[in-house]
Amino acid sequence: MANSNLPRRIIKETQRLLSEPAPGISASPSEDNMRYFNVMILGPTQSPYEGGVFKLELFLPEEYPMAAPKVPFAYASEPNHFYEEPNYLEGIDWDSVFIPNLSGCCGEIEVRFLTKIYHPNIDKLGRICLDILKDKWSPALQIRTVLLSIQALLSAPNPDDPLSENIAKHWKTNEAEAVETAKEWTRLYASGA
Amino acid sequence: MTLGSGGSSVVVPRNFRLLEELERGEKGIGDGTVSYGMDDGDDIYMRSWTGTIIGPHNTVHEGRIYQLKLFCDKDYPEKPPSVRFHSRINMTCVNHETGVVEPKKFGLLANWQREYTMEDILTQLKKEMAAPHNRKLVQPPEGTYF
Repeated sequence: MANSNLPRRIIKETQRLLSEPAPGISASPSEDNMRYFNVMILGPTQSPYEGGVFKLELFLPEEYPMAAPKVPFAYASEPNHFYEEPNYLEGIDWDSVFIPNLSGCCGEIEVRFLTKIYHPNIDKLGRICLDILKDKWSPALQIRTVLLSIQALLSAPNPDDPLSENIAKHWKTNEAEAVETAKEWTRLYASGA
Repeated sequence: MTLGSGGSSVVVPRNFRLLEELERGEKGIGDGTVSYGMDDGDDIYMRSWTGTIIGPHNTVHEGRIYQLKLFCDKDYPEKPPSVRFHSRINMTCVNHETGVVEPKKFGLLANWQREYTMEDILTQLKKEMAAPHNRKLVQPPEGTYF
């Protein structure tokens, strides 16, 4: 079986998503890949996306929810001797050791919209600008919390931290008109047909 | 079944795999002699791509810029993309009429594995240009297209 060694955490999260779905959100794993979810989010009431059904896809990478800490292997292999530097590490100039930038490799949930949407923090490919999907990722976050945050982002677009420059500009210069466009797109592309 | 998962049990789905490739392509690869990008920024399924190869040194291709079209269908990366040269080229694995890279004559496509990427295809084609059976072949005029 492809999914036989699925981490317990993912199994638990999936069971709970199916048995106690959050209001306005559904997420179910695909049959042939238990790390790949089909997601639907209903446009929040009193937002320009009200009445829309938005399709997303979500993937839990191998490192989900967190990558193994990137510490020198001698420390990693001896977790009980954290403060005892082994002899062979003596004299290393740690300032000259390259420590890679770990953002984007630490187990963040990957998620994007498949339904076209007019929103300053979502680009043409459905990619979402949301801090918890990047540098503010924490292993304490779950599929549910991420999807709730995306739903909240639909209620509160943030044109000051845009992913789509043009849409953000539209939002800032003429919010009423931008909201109308968002409503129009919701009718056109997210009618749930 | 995990198709072509290469021993790992985690299979990155098509779209997320292509998003990774897109980001890598945008950052720029190695010495810049191969590159690629998406043709249609609105295509949510990221099917159509343009690749570029700069002809390798000490070959008839040196200094030439070759454009290719890559098409990633729904079954990518289980199946390889279709690949064809847009710029005219004379090369053993390329169909002379259409510019299509013929899988039977190009090992990477014939023995495709899920982990292979568009970057791998372009890099391997560049190597192929410098192979003994290709490096001295007479070439069509520069700037002509299939």
